[in-house]
Amino acid sequence: MTRPRLIAAHTVLVAALLAPASPASAIPAFARKYGTSCLTCHTAYPKLTPFGEAFRRNGYRFPGVDSDYVKQETVPLGQEQNKKTFPDSVWPASIPVSVPIAVGANGTMQLYPDKTASVPRNNNGTQFSLDDLAAEGHVWAGASLDDTITLWAELTFAEGGAEVEHAQVLVNDLLGPKHAVNLVVGKGFPTITSFGAHSSYIADQGIANAPVSAMLLGSADPFVLVDNVTGLEVNGVIQGRVDYSLGLTTGKNSSTFGSFNSENWYAHVGFKLGGMRLDGEGSTGAEDALHPWAETALTVDGFYYHSNEHFDDVLVAPPSGPFADLSSTVGGQVRGQLGSLELDLGYYSQDHGRGWVNTGLPTPAYAKVTAGVLYGELSYVVFPWMIPAIRVESISLKPSGGASVSDLHLMPGIAFLLRPNVKLVVAGNIESTDGFPLDPTGAATAWQGGAGDTGPFVASPLPNYTATAKKQEFESLALFLAWAI
Amino acid sequence: MTCRASSALRLLASGLALALGSTARAEGATVSGTVDVQPAKYLEETVVYLKSVPGAYKPREHEMDQKGMKFVPHILLVTQGDTVKFLNHDNVAHNVYSPDNEGYNLGTFKQNEVRTQAFAKAGVYSQLCSIHPEMLGYVFVGQNPYAAVVDKKGKYVIKNVPPGSYQLAVWNSKLKAPEKAVTVAAGKTVEENLTVKR
Repeated sequence: MTRPRLIAAHTVLVAALLAPASPASAIPAFARKYGTSCLTCHTAYPKLTPFGEAFRRNGYRFPGVDSDYVKQETVPLGQEQNKKTFPDSVWPASIPVSVPIAVGANGTMQLYPDKTASVPRNNNGTQFSLDDLAAEGHVWAGASLDDTITLWAELTFAEGGAEVEHAQVLVNDLLGPKHAVNLVVGKGFPTITSFGAHSSYIADQGIANAPVSAMLLGSADPFVLVDNVTGLEVNGVIQGRVDYSLGLTTGKNSSTFGSFNSENWYAHVGFKLGGMRLDGEGSTGAEDALHPWAETALTVDGFYYHSNEHFDDVLVAPPSGPFADLSSTVGGQVRGQLGSLELDLGYYSQDHGRGWVNTGLPTPAYAKVTAGVLYGELSYVVFPWMIPAIRVESISLKPSGGASVSDLHLMPGIAFLLRPNVKLVVAGNIESTDGFPLDPTGAATAWQGGAGDTGPFVASPLPNYTATAKKQEFESLALFLAWAI
Repeated sequence: MTCRASSALRLLASGLALALGSTARAEGATVSGTVDVQPAKYLEETVVYLKSVPGAYKPREHEMDQKGMKFVPHILLVTQGDTVKFLNHDNVAHNVYSPDNEGYNLGTFKQNEVRTQAFAKAGVYSQLCSIHPEMLGYVFVGQNPYAAVVDKKGKYVIKNVPPGSYQLAVWNSKLKAPEKAVTVAAGKTVEENLTVKR
């Protein structure tokens, strides 16, 4: 790959990652359906309360019999009694009287106090950016056809166009005890922890992504652990304390290569001690009615993710594809809650078989690389409308035959709920690098990844930097605003 | 017969009728109360009834209409041995069938046509229309006529109950409640509140 081509690819990618990522599973369609406040399931949305997590795990259903809690009028497409005459009747279902849709928008304003930090330096010394203040519009849909089948979809509009980010059919309680075996079909986030993907007050996602193939291979469509992907997933909760998932996904790559999409599979298991059951069943409500987010509980989970993704073969001139990169990721996460204080801590190690180009060899060749990603967030709900938190993300890259590099991203911030459905997050971005990744030409390049919204990894080398250069910078101060109705 | 004698006889007959009527009213008891339905959205499909009240009940004829693509009334109370005429006042064809108990299918019938079904056994029969699967009604067939559908506030009144001891039960299309023993005395009202839930 030529140097200009690489720079162009990285510029596009950095720009894409700087744009606010898809924010929320906050869906007022559910609020209308159950006639309940957003606060039944969320603190500062999309962060979920223990009850909201149970609702999500149950396939967007209340514990007990879901329809008991539905207040929105429905149109029966058949009566329950039609089940008795099946197969001579169509299996019954119902639909809401009104279309179960919600809309919302979000955007970010970035301030760059330090002109020499990476983003202002690469943008003519710009010290603030309002370009993404109205970055995304969302249309969400959430509904149930009966007490077992639910639907969930999200269409996001952004400057680049519209994308179906989620479109899932959830068939729940397929076998055995309630909640034990559920099937999810469609496009959405793979379940690799016991908690919702948006488990953060500061960032868009709980898990920090490390787009290794973006940083080291210049891929504009890198493999990341958590993204909107199509696939099948079987998941469930056993005895209220153990949750699991097994899934197949097509990943994101290779459709441009005229071949089948990538082949990925994953498995996850988690265990919760104390607090509300994972499925919310038998609950008499929150431990403290005035603090429904609070509980004393410890949840431990682990996952394995196997990926076979395809990328442009940068060792061929001109670059052409596809070539395959097998990767294995092993990780785990702990959530400890003590009342209103919550600590999430996770780590995963990701091995890529052909993850970087070792240019130090007589003939440059693909080589193994291991990424280690640490992420954590400490938060305290001071008031239901004000939650200070500090988030830490760290990526380290250990290329086989190359120098190890790492980057630490610190994000102190406060999430404010201006209304139950209007959120403002103020967050700082401090980044400290110990070396820079090497692109396929062997040159130092920018860090990427993290869990966007208020600021991903952005540190980039100065022209005179070597791969082992160290740099600390105050990246930005971000104001993230979102609403949903 | 003279006019005077005729008047005297009529007076005597009236007096006897009044006396007999008073006795009948005096014998009948009332069971009433309120049903707390949890969740309340299922209140509409709730019937309170007395189980096993001895007696011979003369067969009667009832009507259940199909109007505006709905069964009217939504719940029809009948006694075993009674007959129900299913009407159709819609200008679309309907079908009436029930998959419950012994089941039946009255076929398709057009506006102003009538189909009849006799109910020999006690039980609850959901009424469905195979042409319009969203339609639903119930025929509640009791062993006796002592039953009442709750009103919008959950209140029920069962009148003219013969004195005695019975089991008071509740039927709800989705929920359940334990039975209660009640003893009613002639001319008295017994108040029994009930709770139905999952």
